[in-house]
Amino acid sequence: MEFSHDRSGDTLVVNASGRVDGSNASDFLESLQGMFEPGDQKIILDLGGLEYISSAGLRVLLMAAQNLDKQNKSFSICSLTEAVGDVFRISGFDQIINVFPSVADAKQG
Amino acid sequence: MQRSLHIPHPPERDHPSDVLPRIEDMLNEMAEAEGWPITLTMRANLILEELVLNTLTYGDTSGLTEIDLKLEYQDHALTIRLIDDGSPFNPLTDAPEPDVTLPLAERPIGGLGVYLVRTMGEELEYRREDGRNRLKLVVHPES
Repeated sequence: MEFSHDRSGDTLVVNASGRVDGSNASDFLESLQGMFEPGDQKIILDLGGLEYISSAGLRVLLMAAQNLDKQNKSFSICSLTEAVGDVFRISGFDQIINVFPSVADAKQG
Repeated sequence: MQRSLHIPHPPERDHPSDVLPRIEDMLNEMAEAEGWPITLTMRANLILEELVLNTLTYGDTSGLTEIDLKLEYQDHALTIRLIDDGSPFNPLTDAPEPDVTLPLAERPIGGLGVYLVRTMGEELEYRREDGRNRLKLVVHPES
């Protein structure tokens, strides 16, 4: 997996691309958490470059969403590819995590 | 088109998840040759990862020596056959059904893998025969 992030004001946009599976899900969680700073109020995860996600990766997203929710921070995901969107729909994740078509939509939402 | 994969146990390499690139390569080869929709490749990969890692890492794996995977693509559907000599495990009945309607704060972290297999897989059949788990399921690009 590859990561990059972009912070402006209290909004953090994280780009995660590649594949997240049982071999690297714990690295994914560590990398994500390492990017959060106390001042971040709105966290947007751009998954436009994510090719594959298994339940191990979904677990990481669920943990991150629950942690940020507890801290009353906003967490959303955007730019899902067709295949990742299919997994989100079937797992019901699109019902519990805010999903937007693009980063711009997520910033407004 | 048919492909098969033999996975020995204990793993010949360091970690159970080292098998994942072999699964990915096999699926990519089939997907490319047969022009699979991207959702079929994703679903098949996810299902195989869940089933194989479950077998390799959960419960009592002391008697497990091998997993045999057989894939057959025909008429826009992929049939997966998985045979292993590990301890009895029926993914249709031996794992609790997670409540996917729970709100975020109450969603349990685990239990999702087998649920996705049961939801993305169709015509699931399991039997225990000759000391082996025999699982068959069919994957379609959409549901």
